[in-house]
Amino acid sequence: MSAIGRRLTRSRGGEKPAKPFDRPRFLHVLMGLFLLWTFAPIAIVVLFSFNSGKSLQNFEGFSTQWYSDFFGDQQLRDSLVASLEIALVTMVVATLLGSLLAFGLVRSRNRLSPVTNVMMLIPLVVPEIVAGVTALLLFTQIGMKLSLTTIILAHITFSISYVTVIVRGRLAALNREVEEAAMDLGATRFQTLRLVLLPALWPAILAAGLLTFALSFDDFVLSFFTTGEEVQPLPVRIYSSIRFGVTPTINAIGTLMLLVSVSTIALALALPRILGRRGQTVLIGKDAV
Amino acid sequence: MSEAGEAIRFDGVTKRFGEMTAVDDMTLTIRQGEFFSLLGPSGCGKTTTLRMVAGFEQPSAGTIHLEGESVESVPPYRRNVNTVFQSYALFENLDVFENVSFGLKRQKVPKDEIRTRVNEALELVQLPTRSDAKPNELSGGQKQRVALARALVNRPAVLLLDEPLGALDLKLRKQMQIELKQIQREVGITFVYVTHDQEEALSMSDRIAVMESGIVKQCGEPEDVYERPGGEFVAGFIGISNLIEGTVADRDRVRIRSGEVLPAPLPDDCETGATVHLSVRPEKIAVDEDIDEQMVSLTGRVVGRVYLGVSTQVTVALGDGAHIVALEQATYRARADDRWEEGMEIRVGWHPDNCLVLR
Amino acid sequence: MSERRFASLTLLPGAVWLVLLFLVPLAITLAISFGTTDELGNALYGWNPENYSRVFDPLFAPVLLRSVGYAFATVTLCLLIGYPIAYYIARFGGRYKYLLIALVVLPFLVNYLIRVYAWVAILSDEGLVNGVLGDLGLTTDGIRFLNTPYAVIGGLVYGYMAFMILPVYAALDRMSPSLIEAGKDLYANGWQTFRHVTWPATFQGVLAGAVLVFLPAVGDFISAQLLGGPDTYMVGNLIQQQFFEANNFPFGAALTTVLMAFLLIFMVFYLRSASKAAAEARA
Repeated sequence: MSAIGRRLTRSRGGEKPAKPFDRPRFLHVLMGLFLLWTFAPIAIVVLFSFNSGKSLQNFEGFSTQWYSDFFGDQQLRDSLVASLEIALVTMVVATLLGSLLAFGLVRSRNRLSPVTNVMMLIPLVVPEIVAGVTALLLFTQIGMKLSLTTIILAHITFSISYVTVIVRGRLAALNREVEEAAMDLGATRFQTLRLVLLPALWPAILAAGLLTFALSFDDFVLSFFTTGEEVQPLPVRIYSSIRFGVTPTINAIGTLMLLVSVSTIALALALPRILGRRGQTVLIGKDAV
Repeated sequence: MSEAGEAIRFDGVTKRFGEMTAVDDMTLTIRQGEFFSLLGPSGCGKTTTLRMVAGFEQPSAGTIHLEGESVESVPPYRRNVNTVFQSYALFENLDVFENVSFGLKRQKVPKDEIRTRVNEALELVQLPTRSDAKPNELSGGQKQRVALARALVNRPAVLLLDEPLGALDLKLRKQMQIELKQIQREVGITFVYVTHDQEEALSMSDRIAVMESGIVKQCGEPEDVYERPGGEFVAGFIGISNLIEGTVADRDRVRIRSGEVLPAPLPDDCETGATVHLSVRPEKIAVDEDIDEQMVSLTGRVVGRVYLGVSTQVTVALGDGAHIVALEQATYRARADDRWEEGMEIRVGWHPDNCLVLR
Repeated sequence: MSERRFASLTLLPGAVWLVLLFLVPLAITLAISFGTTDELGNALYGWNPENYSRVFDPLFAPVLLRSVGYAFATVTLCLLIGYPIAYYIARFGGRYKYLLIALVVLPFLVNYLIRVYAWVAILSDEGLVNGVLGDLGLTTDGIRFLNTPYAVIGGLVYGYMAFMILPVYAALDRMSPSLIEAGKDLYANGWQTFRHVTWPATFQGVLAGAVLVFLPAVGDFISAQLLGGPDTYMVGNLIQQQFFEANNFPFGAALTTVLMAFLLIFMVFYLRSASKAAAEARA
């Protein structure tokens, strides 16, 4: 029984509190069931991706045939490559624009910053379908043909805000006097940026970049609305496949996507901590918004 | 254009932040080689003044001359001054050696010379063995020394120190005060030292500028500022001032509110009836048996007692409601403590010469 | 150049991008919502406010209501399930607090589509559950799980649960345990303590979680599409149809605008209540 529980029963002279919120045992069970509920479907997908049979009910044997099917399918391979490409370009551009924006919002004090700040925050609360519709309408109305490019443009637009919030949190927590010290000792503005600011900032920038990659790779709704007809990113292909019925290959694709997303997020959290061990710690400040 | 030995000259320097005036028409000269302190409470403008010398703020009006040259539009990285920051501001990703050599590297000093000078600087601040350490491995006092070495190694014309000892505990602070003073004497560089601690300023400085709300209330040597404060604020800020209100009775006497008329060194141009304040330092007040015939004396009541170890502060209420503080040193001649209890009647006195008249 | 001017310049690229690719599209959407289509299906600008009245047409209004209803149901379920979980981790997690939070969050890193697909696979007529039920001899033809509101709401809850748990956990974690102890001294039992001490203290977190779940849930169409059918259509499906099947961009834009307006009003209420609560807390 937890420490708090022990103290409580002592102070009440041995009286046992009767309500479920006090009895950890009930909550232990609840927690266990919850974890089961959240992990089971994913575990099943992974498990059945190695199923030698087509059935979704019986596990007939171990086989990697669905994976070979996946890599053997030209269209699916192209989709995978497309997803990676989109995610990569989005990551680079959104990280750049978002970091610059974060710097501007923290360091400039002009009248437009609050407006820009609000404008930057809105995409974070806009539902994906609204994002998709507005992006689609933009491209059709200006006569731009839908393609990987339109997907990339849309992804970048809705990734900038994540980067800005993360980088800004870190930036706002930095001690300005360290940069002043550098200038005081003879470093020009540019040198100060290179020698003081960037070393302190890059873990947050890296984390934001990897997060952007993961979000873009996983994205469905926005891609669905802005994709062209030739090559489509993986989630869109999966959706089309599911509409026509569940096939085991989807299990394999799902498992692969899972691997990519989870490892990217894990990297985003771990890498800055490992590489930035020399004094840098928190990468997301508490007042990030 | 400058006079010989002028390190910094302020000419009508004013700094405004929006509606607020942080520094108001400051005109003063800091001499080369002196240990000059800017002393005052928070918000008096002393740090802003320092930052203007360093180049992190530009004056709204007036000019600042560094060694005779105006520093208007000269960026911080081109000024021959270095700053020791209150938060030390060390580069966390560089070790001690790299921190201290930072400025020299920017000046493209050759590597051998860098090594020699850095080692010299570390010796000076008594940290010769810690070149490889990272800032997060150092204690507060050690970080302070690194910050000092990092600034001094560049041999600037002026060293600016912004409340550098604020974060240290009392004992370390006292020790560092002595060390800083020694270093300054040894190196001969002009130090401009910002602090709100008047004891610190008094003990270390050649001259002190006492500031309040952006204005320099008095500038002078420590003894001047302490013994002859130029006004109520300075008298109150430095030490305990013990102000007694009264009116001018005649050429050399003041009638205090409770009715007594006391001799006091009035300046020549005092009008009879004008309101003045008498200011006496606590340590100049004698109590009971120590009062001699030449002293002015009053009777009052003990209303408080604070034991400070080396002395005891006794707060006495005079007839008119004024409170003054007397200091009784626990020297070899002192009698047993616990002499003064609240409510007891007590006689206090002082030499008229030790009393200051403030208008 | 002064730092402030330099910083203002760095604002430009991102700001310009957002204006051109975020604000302008919003404006275009608004404009098109008043438009019509020509024979080729191209959207034309015009002034046809009947697009908006059509939104509230008896054919479509139920869809809107259903979306809001499903979203509220989702929020409620997320709260009922998520709050105890957050409570457990915050109060009884001890050393394993961060591990537990990581475990809770981990499944949500997986693509939402894949997670919904997993339930499709499990709940479909040829899926795992029916298979097990059949093997156990409990059913002959299988139970239809899919194409029901329960499946859709289940999918939504599964999808957005983490957005409720995290803010509530943060609020619970911030509470000091001595608060609860004091409550226990004052109130007769655990339930009273919860009602008078714990709940008010964590209300802001609950509100935040509710918003974070409600906003995406209302506009969601994946769950309804894959786990439901025509009877469970949400406004998201309706919008998607206008753009990909009916080719009626203006009506789709009108639906989207109505959705946005509704969410905006919702957000305003939330922000008002949040700032009021914050002001009260400060007082």
